[in-house]
Amino acid sequence: MSRFFAGSDSDSDSSSEEEQIQRAPALAYAFSDDEDEVKRVVRSTKEKRYEDLTNIIKQIRNFKKIKDMSSMLSSFEDLQRAYLKAAPVIAKEENGQTPRFYIRCLAEMEDFINEVWEDRDGRKNMSKNNYKSLSSIRQKLRKYLKDFDESIKKFRENPDQPDDEGEEEKRDEDVDSDAEAPVKVSAAAKVAVEPTKDFDDDSDSDSWPSDSESDSGSSTDDDKITNMRDRFLKKTGPTQEDDEEKEKRKEDRRNERKEKERKKMRREDEEDGEGEWETVKGGVAIPSEKPKMFAKDAQIDLPLVINKLSEIIAARGKKRTDRREQIELLHELQNVSEQHQLGPAIVIKIKFAIISAIFDYNPKVSDAMKPEYWTKLLERMYELLETLSKNDNVVISETITEETENFESAPYQVRGCVLTSVERLDDEFTKLLKECDPHSNEYVERLKDECKVAAIIDKVQIYLERHSNYSEICRIYLRKIEHLYYKFDPKVLQQKAGEVTKDVITSVQEMEKLCKYIYAKDGTDRLRTRAILSHIYHHALHDNWFQARDLVLMSHLQENIQHSDPSTQILYNRTMAHLGLCAFRHANIKDAHSCLVDLMMTGKPKELLAQGLLPQRQHERSKEQEKIEKQRQMPFHMHINLELLECVYLVSAMLIEIPYMAAHEFDARRRMISKTFYQQLRSSERQSLVGPPESMREHVVAAAKAMRNGHWASCNTFIINDKMNAKVWDLFYQADAVRAMLTKLIKEEALRTYLFTYSHVYDSISMATLAEMFEMEKSNVHSIISKMIINEELMASLDDPTQTVVMHRSEPSRLQSLAMQLADKINNFVDSNERILETKQGNFFMRGQNQVRGNFRGGDRQNYRGGNQEWNRQRRDNRRQEY
Amino acid sequence: MAARGTTRRIPEKDSTIACVQCDGLAVMKMVKHCHEESTSNMDVAQGALLGLVVDDCLEITNCFPFPKQQDESMDEDEYQLAMMRRLRRVNVDHFHVGWYQSADVGNFLSLPLLESQYHYQTSIEESVVVIYDTQKSSRGFLSLKAYRLTPQAIEMYKDGEFTPEALLKLKVGYENLFVEVPVTIKNSALTNIMMSELAELIPEEEGSKFLDLGTASVLEGQLRCLMDRVDELNQEAIKFNRYQQLVSRQQQDKHRYLQKRAQENASRVAKDEPPLPEEDITKLFRPHPVPPRLQPMLTAGQINTYSQHISQFCSQSLAKLFITQALQNAKEQNSSP
Repeated sequence: MSRFFAGSDSDSDSSSEEEQIQRAPALAYAFSDDEDEVKRVVRSTKEKRYEDLTNIIKQIRNFKKIKDMSSMLSSFEDLQRAYLKAAPVIAKEENGQTPRFYIRCLAEMEDFINEVWEDRDGRKNMSKNNYKSLSSIRQKLRKYLKDFDESIKKFRENPDQPDDEGEEEKRDEDVDSDAEAPVKVSAAAKVAVEPTKDFDDDSDSDSWPSDSESDSGSSTDDDKITNMRDRFLKKTGPTQEDDEEKEKRKEDRRNERKEKERKKMRREDEEDGEGEWETVKGGVAIPSEKPKMFAKDAQIDLPLVINKLSEIIAARGKKRTDRREQIELLHELQNVSEQHQLGPAIVIKIKFAIISAIFDYNPKVSDAMKPEYWTKLLERMYELLETLSKNDNVVISETITEETENFESAPYQVRGCVLTSVERLDDEFTKLLKECDPHSNEYVERLKDECKVAAIIDKVQIYLERHSNYSEICRIYLRKIEHLYYKFDPKVLQQKAGEVTKDVITSVQEMEKLCKYIYAKDGTDRLRTRAILSHIYHHALHDNWFQARDLVLMSHLQENIQHSDPSTQILYNRTMAHLGLCAFRHANIKDAHSCLVDLMMTGKPKELLAQGLLPQRQHERSKEQEKIEKQRQMPFHMHINLELLECVYLVSAMLIEIPYMAAHEFDARRRMISKTFYQQLRSSERQSLVGPPESMREHVVAAAKAMRNGHWASCNTFIINDKMNAKVWDLFYQADAVRAMLTKLIKEEALRTYLFTYSHVYDSISMATLAEMFEMEKSNVHSIISKMIINEELMASLDDPTQTVVMHRSEPSRLQSLAMQLADKINNFVDSNERILETKQGNFFMRGQNQVRGNFRGGDRQNYRGGNQEWNRQRRDNRRQEY
Repeated sequence: MAARGTTRRIPEKDSTIACVQCDGLAVMKMVKHCHEESTSNMDVAQGALLGLVVDDCLEITNCFPFPKQQDESMDEDEYQLAMMRRLRRVNVDHFHVGWYQSADVGNFLSLPLLESQYHYQTSIEESVVVIYDTQKSSRGFLSLKAYRLTPQAIEMYKDGEFTPEALLKLKVGYENLFVEVPVTIKNSALTNIMMSELAELIPEEEGSKFLDLGTASVLEGQLRCLMDRVDELNQEAIKFNRYQQLVSRQQQDKHRYLQKRAQENASRVAKDEPPLPEEDITKLFRPHPVPPRLQPMLTAGQINTYSQHISQFCSQSLAKLFITQALQNAKEQNSSP
């Protein structure tokens, strides 16, 4: 069956089956005729055995035709027996290789049995006897075939080989004397080649326009020829020199193929008169090693080359086309056209074809291409762009159809799109990077190509700016932005500091220009979104906090980012991460925290930033899903340091959470600000013995604990030390500034925490002492305390003459607040209890009254609560009046 | 010991034991064991009580602790039997009269306690559970209490039904689950003599610790516990309330259904058709499972004990504060002239 499938994919199953069934016996007949002839000549043991075998095979074929399973089973058993008998002869004569006709029979039988087995209705309709035999023959055959696995596989690779004749011939040869052999061989070769040639011609002339069939036809006969040759070679040479022969064979095959090509060309030439094919006459000087394109005497002109090109392109994507050969052919064609100066348009056209052929070389889209092809691709791309920029009169567009292409005169028109090729190139580059191990030299080598890619993009940008419309310019701009946005340009900060003059163009300005163009001209939402995100990212990277924040706020992306595609969401996550880092550098701790909290809360920032897949349980992710997710991953050089991110997040959480915890120690409705931070804290509290901190998290937790007790100095040493410097802080561009900022913040928050925690033990604190304790400016302390007093976080007042803070003690003591909580709870409880009572007595006429009562009570309780608060305030007010 | 006794009618009024008389030795052993347990880990300590019944007085003369660690190789029952056998050899009373347990500020009331005491009391009628409060004792109040299940509680547990109706019928509430039996500690004359001799030998202590005024921390702890319990009880109340709503809704549905059916039947009778067959109404309206009331009852009992403890503690603290005020005043008066 397979041989039919190889030829014509489009044929329906049923027809092919029929064909096979009919054809198998036909083959056998032809074969048997031969057999008779041979019989008459000689009879040796081998002859006898083979004859037995072939007879049985014939029988089997007959049975196959009438689907007589039981007889087939017995014949099959006979066949096995006969083969066993023949085994010594085979071993002697054929070097233990199973004769091909035998294998063919087995394979055919297998196909047949499978087919019958597959046909359920037919199976049901079978007689019981037949059915039994079918199942038993199926099992036996399967078992038996295991011994011939390899030879059958080999056979299936090219089942078309006319084994029977070959076999016959072989037998003939054996019979004949050795001296005669060469003559015979050549004769046989002639016989074998000639009919195939005919067949080839037929098929070509019949169905040339539909390429698929002709293609397959030619390739199969190609195979046939080579295989015949192999066989003959094998026979003439002794078996020991097998390897050499193999090489020779390969060479031969190659020659054969070239010949084939030549033949094809010639054929075309011959056929020119009939149809649309143009004749080419005249010789071309082509280096002899390269595959010959055109006939020696062909006159190369434009239409011919175009035809040739379309012929080559037509073979694209076919199963049996050799992709490498295609690339070579195209190169060849390019050389030819350049030699003959057929104009830039055709060269460009061919170059497009080469580029797409190189893209095609890789069969799988998800895999990266091979490095050698990658470099080739880069070169070709570069050349293409060079040619394009030199030839201004070539119009390239996707809107030009094949028919309207114009290669001949000045306003050349070529179908194609530079932009898509470049985009594809860029994607391939990313894939290539992802393929490499990021810690190897290979990655670095690959990464060096980025300059080239960027140069190509620049060229395309220049080209498109001259020729193209807005949408394409936007697309190429975005490509450029995507190569630009994650790169840090120290010049920006230097310019800010005034070290570099204003007229130097930095990447920020570049980004600004590109993005603004996209904002203004882009019609699709996606490009704009990505441009904005990249823009924000770039600003955040260069410490332009306010610009970045304003862009985020203006774009309103936070609200609808969840509706966009995954890669944009990833970009959003990356942007938020950098925005958080930027806010942290600017000491906007709250903003930093709120930027990072979404990323960190889930506990899988790695996945959210597409920097690697977390190992998951088997069922959560299917194979395809994993593949898709892998495609989304960022290449390593664009990664954001996760430890840095987490550390910044935890530290900012600590700076917010610890004072908050201290301030709201007894608040029943206290909410958590950062869940992740709480988890870290709690897990460390659960340990019975806490050792000195090792990891970054432990450091932060230890620092948080120190801060809780108001020890700013130890908190500071936990956060800023050699270990943490190496791990985290040195990763910042201006690490010292960040550290100074951190120390300042730690001092402030520690002071606040101290005041919250210990204010109840003081009647008054001298601000000078506080300033000394926290090594802060007195004015700073003053401002912090004032702020706390204004926000009613600290019940105290400042006494100016003595420079002290006087505590008011208006907040309830621990016991009092507990008692208040208890009262609250008991109130709730009484409520629910009374509800039970109500339903118990719940008569219909009582219900209305109850509700009224309930409402009243509720109102009452509110009053009570309100009164409570007021009571507090009143007391506070009283105090104020007192002081 | 866990074998259930034969079901017999327990008299309404429990009069088997009127008082518990505890030997000094047994008390000391209990105290020692409980304190050891509470300092090492915060688990409860348990042990068996040995003694005998004289008229209506239960005399506890000795005790031994239960092994703490759950060792698979050791059978607890066997351990107890072996222990008692050996104690008998050294002429100790071998009658098993109950068990003791340590507690932390009155938090002893729990389901396991109820269960074990039920088994004890059904197999040995006179048995008691002695609760020793480690926390309180460590602050200077020796707290040793003996409890027995009331007959109603036993009945309730035997029925294994904790619906509100069943509890109502048995008249069981949190206040009458257990009845406290007065405990007296009695030492032999010889011990008394030795004690008085020892008292003379030991130098008199400075009474510095008796006026510990650290009221806030103790109260805080107790308030926290109380709050937790109140929360629990509140949850239970909400649960019960939900149940009530479900039941009432179901009742309404049922009522409506029956009415509709009656109407239909009436119209059918008018048309001389046979009435619809009576369907099983309970199948249509499956009664909702009643939330068991045992846990809320126990929680209520705990709240009760907590409140009692708190009020007791407060009154004692108040007295102390008054005393300190008086002392302070006296000192000021002394120093001023």
